[in-house]
Amino acid sequence: MVKETYLHDKHVALGAKMVDFAGWHMPVQYSSIIEEHRTVREALGIFDVSHMGEVFVSGKDATAFLNKIVPQDITKLAYEKAVYCQLTKSDGGLIDDLIIYKIGIENYLVICNASRIDEDLNWLVRNKRGLDVKIDNQSHNYSLLAVQGPKAINLMKKMGYDLEEQKSFTIKPAVIEGIKLLASRTGYTGEDGFELLVENEFSEFLWDKILEEGQEFGIKPIGLGARDTLRLEAALHLYGNDLDETTTPIEAGLSWSVPKDKKADYNGKEVIMNQLQNGTDRKLIGLIMLDKNIARHGYDIYFNGEKVGQVTSGCVSPSTGKNIALGYVKNLAEICTGATVQVMIREKLHDAQVVKRPFIEKRNRV
Amino acid sequence: MGFKDEMLCSNTHEYIVKQGEEYVIGLTDYAVDQLGDIVFLELPEEGSEFKKGETFANIESVKAASEIYMPIGGTITAVNNELVDTPEKLNEDCYENGWLIKIKSDSFDIDKSDLLTYENYKKELE
Repeated sequence: MVKETYLHDKHVALGAKMVDFAGWHMPVQYSSIIEEHRTVREALGIFDVSHMGEVFVSGKDATAFLNKIVPQDITKLAYEKAVYCQLTKSDGGLIDDLIIYKIGIENYLVICNASRIDEDLNWLVRNKRGLDVKIDNQSHNYSLLAVQGPKAINLMKKMGYDLEEQKSFTIKPAVIEGIKLLASRTGYTGEDGFELLVENEFSEFLWDKILEEGQEFGIKPIGLGARDTLRLEAALHLYGNDLDETTTPIEAGLSWSVPKDKKADYNGKEVIMNQLQNGTDRKLIGLIMLDKNIARHGYDIYFNGEKVGQVTSGCVSPSTGKNIALGYVKNLAEICTGATVQVMIREKLHDAQVVKRPFIEKRNRV
Repeated sequence: MGFKDEMLCSNTHEYIVKQGEEYVIGLTDYAVDQLGDIVFLELPEEGSEFKKGETFANIESVKAASEIYMPIGGTITAVNNELVDTPEKLNEDCYENGWLIKIKSDSFDIDKSDLLTYENYKKELE
């Protein structure tokens, strides 16, 4: 059965086009993807991302446990800080990518992809053998609202939330409009913004309140369609497109999230460290199409007449008007920034230029 | 106006309307609404021939790529090239200015058998 978030009826009442996504009936757009996209880049948007998974990990060995299953060094994660990481297998492939928040002593919040929650939970349970850890999936009890855009900070201040202390990639308990929640300065758009984790029963009130208070900042509800174009412009990976069980963090261009000096062992460390040192067979690249054609997931990439890889995500970038894409190619030195490759679109090759990622300047570094 | 009263629609959401000796072909408002923001359109060359059901054009919205099929067979006599340069205009009007191609057809009487009036097409969608 398709699941509905607590805010489902709000989306329908707002006239959203609804689609099935990862087992959830979600709004893909309310008005227009391009218009919603621009609203987030220029002002403020609110997203219902309650389909995402929330898993609390606690117990005497919680830190040691998490440290064993991700490349990031969780022993170095400070209280109320967040870190982007991946659940790696022994061959370096990825079960999922996630954000881990330290919310107490031996107490963590893990936010993961809706499409992978079952695999994640299974993986966590399999890896906790012999450790004193409690894995508590609270996904069904919490709603997650994201407010994103340059005006997000104005909205939060207006709603009485003091931000002086809260930097990017931190999480704090907060009371907003009398509702207790966890406010995290994170997002999936490349803009500054907050993700608000709230118990289901307060989500409708909070959603309405944010839309009301955000009016003066030009707030709009934003669907999954614009969420995808926003994240792709920021070159943020989407699990299932750009990451899967065959891609390693190094191939995916996520070396920045793999510390070289981590002492503890973790799943896939040997493969990942070897790739860090000796390179990989393939690599993720950013592309801009040189004509009007759009590269889409699954299209083949060619270089000098040879098939060298595949597009994993592609769309029109509403901010730049260019057609952008991410894809994996053979790790050839010639396929570097500025090089021209071809994408096979409807049985014809179309030129594309290899460019640096992200495709826009990210503004979420605070 | 009167466009919607005169046109026939296919179950793949193309419309066709007779205009003099030619037939005008485009996408229904339902199809355009479902696609969302249209960002790419590729139309065939004038003079090319297509059978009923063949792909004659490609269209992409922000979300996805789709094909457009011939509701009847025929030879292309005109192509709306202005729309190729500004595909987003299809979101505003898919009928008067948003037509895609014009064709000459000898097989209209045979090919029209499974096409629906706009009224019946809308009913089918409900």
